[in-house]
Amino acid sequence: MEKKVRKITMNSNLGITYFLQVSWKEDLGNGFAITLSNGHSAWIGEVSDNDVSKEASDMEMDKIAYVDELKKAMILTATPSNKYTFDLIKDEESSEQYIFSYEKKLKEVSFKIGSLKVRNVNNPAEVINELIEHCLNCATELQINNEHLQKENERLRCDWNDMHEKLNKYVSGKEELEQELYTRFTCVLNKKKEKIRNLKEKLSESQQRETQQKIQQKSQDSVPFDTVPISELKDEDYGGSTDEEVKSQKTTLQPDLILPLRRQLGKIPHLKERLCTNQKTLPILMTFSLTFN
Amino acid sequence: TNIHVESTMFEDVEFCVMSGTNEYTKSDLEGKIAICGGVVVQNPGEDTYCVIAGSQNVRVKNLIAANKHDVVKAEWLLECFENKTFVPWQPHHMIHMCPSTREHFACEYDCYGDSYFTDTNEHQLKDVFNRMSSIQEKVPLDMIADLEQRYSWDDSSYSIFRQCMIYVDSFTSINDPNTKIHTSRLDVRALELRFHGATVVSSLKEGISHVLVGEDHSRIDEMKALRRTFTKKFKIVSELWVLDSLKLGKLQNENQYLL
Repeated sequence: MEKKVRKITMNSNLGITYFLQVSWKEDLGNGFAITLSNGHSAWIGEVSDNDVSKEASDMEMDKIAYVDELKKAMILTATPSNKYTFDLIKDEESSEQYIFSYEKKLKEVSFKIGSLKVRNVNNPAEVINELIEHCLNCATELQINNEHLQKENERLRCDWNDMHEKLNKYVSGKEELEQELYTRFTCVLNKKKEKIRNLKEKLSESQQRETQQKIQQKSQDSVPFDTVPISELKDEDYGGSTDEEVKSQKTTLQPDLILPLRRQLGKIPHLKERLCTNQKTLPILMTFSLTFN
Repeated sequence: TNIHVESTMFEDVEFCVMSGTNEYTKSDLEGKIAICGGVVVQNPGEDTYCVIAGSQNVRVKNLIAANKHDVVKAEWLLECFENKTFVPWQPHHMIHMCPSTREHFACEYDCYGDSYFTDTNEHQLKDVFNRMSSIQEKVPLDMIADLEQRYSWDDSSYSIFRQCMIYVDSFTSINDPNTKIHTSRLDVRALELRFHGATVVSSLKEGISHVLVGEDHSRIDEMKALRRTFTKKFKIVSELWVLDSLKLGKLQNENQYLL
């Protein structure tokens, strides 16, 4: 059984505050009971499951949508209060009965969501007592719940702070460790680089010394600077040939060269003839066969 | 005198043992030396190969001050016994080196004891690092960033934010630590940033690269006003930038997280 108490005003009597208690089982659609009181008198009434369905079909509304609308009107206090209005009017048929109606106010028109007959309670003090007791119970319950939540919150905050502190420590530790490792790494690395620098220096020093020695040796060995050693000159000019050289080759190389030359020339008869008849052409033939080889 | 010589690895080598270790007494060590053919003297002289010290006492300190003998840890001796060979000295064996040994070591090792020529390994490097406890001056953080960039370590997940200097919007009044917002999610983001290499600063100053803002956007206008006065413009990003970068293990482009 759920209960909800709220404050409302009646359209026909705006100056007075009424207390409306709605009680229901599970869902408002299953029907509900209401208790109304203005502090002096009290009225009670009931709406059955069938009444709700009938009310919904009368308004040509889906039941779920209708119940939703009912909830907004009767239970939820969050919606602006002026959207829904209530009225309590004396029933013309019976002096003991009143009609409690609830309406939804739209821009220009308002439409009735529902109404029920409520009857005057003989002993309103009892009803009012019950109302107050329910409210007090609710308040106590809320307070207990509130305290519990606050404690829980406090615990979570403590845990959070604790965790944060630890995380902070770990992160700082990681940062320090990293920095320390990098520091040591750079120290060792720089020592190696220093060594490499030293070795490099030594290498270039010794290279310099070597080239200096070479230069010194050269200057000691060689003739005055505007002449070039013969050996080097020979090397450079070897590719070219002069008449004198060919002649000198002819004289020096003849015994070695002439034999294979003859063997080759033997295969070319007319050349052989010319070779035998005209000795003067020999130098030309020699160069010819040399390129052949 | 009636010692049974088991090994000749220390044959005719003269030692002077100053003190023992927790496990072996001075005479234990002397006995072991003798078994290996070594000679033990009580005072180091000209022919003494080295002084062995298990623990440092006044006599050892005096010898160090005299700077005439090498003082070697007893661990070296034990290593020799264990391996049954004459283990070459390494920097971590040495308590003190006389000038000639020092010179010899200087050719082989740097001043921290890391070899110039032999590869190192995790264990050895750890050893070297452990002996470097006296280093006071730490490398600045930006140098770490440079190092990582040079050796391409900057894609490690621990250095995602290395190039970033970040102010986290965790004060209700900018730059005022007294107005710290407690148990804020941004605090965790700040720690995450630091863990992944960022420099998190507590004042929104010239030079920062990012400002991290959470759900509360009320100070953004003020930050932007401040930014107008800065030469180096920082980016104002939402915490999603951090979360996404971490999730993907890679720095995400700030542009989709700008506020």
